[in-house]
Amino acid sequence: MNRDVIGLIVLLALIIGFSLLLSIAGKYYIPNPESRKPTEIFGGNNQLAYLYLKYTYYPNDTSRTVLSPEAVTAIVWDFRGLDTLFETTVFYLAIIGALALGRGLIKIEKPVGEHGLSIIVKTVTRLTSVLIVTVAASIALHGHLTPGGGFQGGSAAAVAPLLILIIFSIYYFLEKGISKTLMLIIRSIGLIVIGLVAISCFIIGVIQGSEAFVFQNQRKIVGVYGEHSIEVSLPSHIAGELISGTLWFFNIAEFFAVMAGFTIVFMLLFVPEKAFREGGGK
Amino acid sequence: MIDLYVYFLTLVMVSMVANTALSIYGIFFRPSMIKKIIALTILGDTANTFAIIIGYKRWVNPETPVTTPVLLNYTNINKTYIEEFAKMRAVDPLPQALVLTAIVIGLAVNLYLVFLTLQTYRLYGTTDVREIRRLRG
Repeated sequence: MNRDVIGLIVLLALIIGFSLLLSIAGKYYIPNPESRKPTEIFGGNNQLAYLYLKYTYYPNDTSRTVLSPEAVTAIVWDFRGLDTLFETTVFYLAIIGALALGRGLIKIEKPVGEHGLSIIVKTVTRLTSVLIVTVAASIALHGHLTPGGGFQGGSAAAVAPLLILIIFSIYYFLEKGISKTLMLIIRSIGLIVIGLVAISCFIIGVIQGSEAFVFQNQRKIVGVYGEHSIEVSLPSHIAGELISGTLWFFNIAEFFAVMAGFTIVFMLLFVPEKAFREGGGK
Repeated sequence: MIDLYVYFLTLVMVSMVANTALSIYGIFFRPSMIKKIIALTILGDTANTFAIIIGYKRWVNPETPVTTPVLLNYTNINKTYIEEFAKMRAVDPLPQALVLTAIVIGLAVNLYLVFLTLQTYRLYGTTDVREIRRLRG
């Protein structure tokens, strides 16, 4: 009975979707060039995408800009930073759930003998894993300048441990001292740094005795006519290099958190069946 | 004269609606947990593609060639360049930012689900939801 109802719902969704497509085809898929034409409300220039793109790198007005040429990173960690903070929390909870399911699993002894795939694959992996981590670090470190950032860099860097796990087997990781606990520590440090950077401007404001926001990056002007200025800001340049205030620190911390989090789950997935039957599952 | 852009976008949208319906079918009707997870990833990717297409924007002038919608040359920047970039060339960055985080979070949640399925298989010896329900555990 229930399955019939769900099948009907699926069919209806299909029919309604196709009829929607037929009715609006050729008109509304692509927003036309006029979609960012300013309207008269609030004196024009009030389109959301236009505002984001305009103020992502706008040195003329330092009270609204993020000073980062990359608009996506500016939105992810500044304009809508709280969203990303709580999405990081969801990520954290997913990893914690996997860890809770796999508790007591990782205590495995190395059996004697050679493990993993052939010597050719191992040599190639030794070379490519270094390259993968280098590219990932580049993606994360230049996240405020070019497309990229902590999430992308961390996901790319997690490919290297995955390759090593498949090709060298999990015993290689345990020999080298890369354990679940170490990855947990790295991930926790990353998350703590994200939390600290998020409230850094607030702490500076408390110490100086001035007003400041949580999740603030550059100086802000509040009030309808800009009558009230909040001057606390993190430096946008260090030694002449653009770091865009908090964005650089967020990207690096997120890189380590994402990479270590994925490595934990990959290690849990690669625990051999035999070790589970002997050790865990009690 | 048929507009090629509209033709191909119609094709993409039709296939995405079909994808959505098929993945909902897979989530509800397939008894294997692995197949449910595969259908769930297809559903998530289709939703992400929808969001990206919403942010897309038609090129302003069809006669002139398309230039890179990236803010290059940010060291010697002036006001008119930024405003032209924001109004004419760039696509909407907000859906891209949301999809970016959604992909990584989705990967983490999928890994959790895969690990859950693996543990279920280790404990019960099956990934069929009908048999797991019969076990009441």
